Amino acid sequence: MCENCGCTETNQKDDVQKNSIYLPEVAKLTQKKKMTPFDSFFEFQLKDRPLGHLPGQFAEISIPGIGEAPISISSGPSKDNTFEMVIRNVGSVTNAIHALEPGESVGVRGPFGTSFPMNNLKGKNLLFITGGIGLVPARSAILYAMEHRKDYKEFFILFGCKDPSQRLFTDEIENWKKRDDIAFHETVDRKENFPWEGNVGVITTLLPKAEKLDPKETYAIIVGPPVMYKFVIMGLHDLEFPDEHIIVSLERRMKCGVGKCGHCQMDSKYVCQDGPVFYYHDIKHLKEAI
Amino acid sequence: MEILKISKNDFYSFLDRKIAAKESKTIGVVKKGSHYVFAELDAASDLCLDYDVTILPPKKYFQPPKEVLLKYVPKKPESYVAVNECEPITIVGIHYYDLAAIYLMDKAFSEGERDENYLKKRENSLLIGMYPTKPQKNRFARSVTKDQGRKVADIMLTEIGGNLVVEILTPKGKEYLKDAKAVKNDYSMKELEDARNNVKDDQKLPLAVELVPQYLGNHYEHPVWEHFGEKCFSCGSCVLVCPTCYCFDAREEIELSLAEGKRVRVWDGCMLEDFAVVADGHNFRKNKSSRFRHRIFRKGKHLPEKYGYFGCVGCGRCANSCTADIAGPVKVFNYMEENK
Repeated sequence: MCENCGCTETNQKDDVQKNSIYLPEVAKLTQKKKMTPFDSFFEFQLKDRPLGHLPGQFAEISIPGIGEAPISISSGPSKDNTFEMVIRNVGSVTNAIHALEPGESVGVRGPFGTSFPMNNLKGKNLLFITGGIGLVPARSAILYAMEHRKDYKEFFILFGCKDPSQRLFTDEIENWKKRDDIAFHETVDRKENFPWEGNVGVITTLLPKAEKLDPKETYAIIVGPPVMYKFVIMGLHDLEFPDEHIIVSLERRMKCGVGKCGHCQMDSKYVCQDGPVFYYHDIKHLKEAI
Repeated sequence: MEILKISKNDFYSFLDRKIAAKESKTIGVVKKGSHYVFAELDAASDLCLDYDVTILPPKKYFQPPKEVLLKYVPKKPESYVAVNECEPITIVGIHYYDLAAIYLMDKAFSEGERDENYLKKRENSLLIGMYPTKPQKNRFARSVTKDQGRKVADIMLTEIGGNLVVEILTPKGKEYLKDAKAVKNDYSMKELEDARNNVKDDQKLPLAVELVPQYLGNHYEHPVWEHFGEKCFSCGSCVLVCPTCYCFDAREEIELSLAEGKRVRVWDGCMLEDFAVVADGHNFRKNKSSRFRHRIFRKGKHLPEKYGYFGCVGCGRCANSCTADIAGPVKVFNYMEENK
């Protein structure tokens, strides 16, 4: 018997394991690849089940002794037990993840949060507008839309990053460029000293590429750093996009993932549960949103 | 509901028997210098039912300042084990506004994902509430609470003369009191009501609590946030002493031997500077005024919209603890009213 509350100790322990919303599962690192000086690609595998995520969701990844961090999932929904992430090395947890080698493990909780409403977008044009590491969560929806290509009409991807060294998924981008059923355009803020023949300028300079899309028949999906949203939305308004056709994925400090810890609060919303994906129409009146 | 009466002396003897029986840990209000705190009772004579307010609210028993969530061997995710430390407790003498705060915490930790680390501690607790018998200069509880606190109490006490009127509100409360020398209550409802309302609040919110969410919505841009915010030291005292603040952070603690580690949850608060900082360093509430506004909005607009109850119970602890003397909601709303 448990000396505290009289329950049998084993029962109590089982209950505690089963009912804890903070207990991570184990996932094994199966692939790792460097993408930029600070971003690497990781494939993880859960032991007994698929993660079961939808495009745009995130998971909490933890390393015992270092901590836990919310990370966007970059793979599309999957039937097997693997999932992919691209992780920027910016803090102690991500630093420890970067130090792992295939075969080693992490803790995982999730998936958490809302997803891109891919069903509601059926029969419409898709316009992805992504900045920097924002391509990571957007890729989960891009891959989903590619898999279900016939469900959508025109398919545009705009991608911008600071300089050519920060481009992500470069091999995949080459394939996207070759496809005639996808229009891919990219730009860099600064060329620096890199050999770069492409566009130079902020992400909004690519918006004219999407001018031919009828805003009423198109959904724009924006994912990028906090500073990007305001300018992209202004650009979309110039193209006469209705707010109902603008979808955003927002970043906050999603510490617990289960709507308790308070860190990700944005007005009365918890971004970890009510977001990270929102219709702009639903949050434009919120003071702290964008 | 059953209403009984017990003399104070008999109640204290009863509590002594309960303390000796050790079926649960008995916690009550005790004097500490010129202040009061909730602490474990060694003897009923330590209990002080005549107090103004405690330094910390009883939330520390349900969401401890530091609580183990997980144990593990460092760098071995296979070793993660969930931990839920709890023991049966009885808390004696919780003022009705602190009960109202527990009511709100119960909602926050049970709606949506159930947080068993909190809820198990609540299940293992028996709450004996009461009404304040001493004034407190910053209290405005009657402006912002109704009787929601009674929904979480197992027993409510009201002192009349040398007697305690005992309202038994739950079967658990009835079981607890079964050996007490309580008799049928012969005070009238009016006498009971009068005794409960004997001590008036020193402060009052200048507008009806129901109107606050919309009122704040109309005052997002107002000089009040800068006026008070710029004086804030970002020390976090107001949120640490608050009975309805439950925001937390999680940290890792590793034994020096490196053989065992723990993930602990610790109190955190939106008034601290780095509360809304994300990985790349961007701070979503960089200015003191935006943090000051967020705290008032969370209590007065966001929590009422989410849970249907005002997020402040009017205990006055934040105003008592604030070095800059800016934290009290009454002061903030008065300023807005005076500077329309």
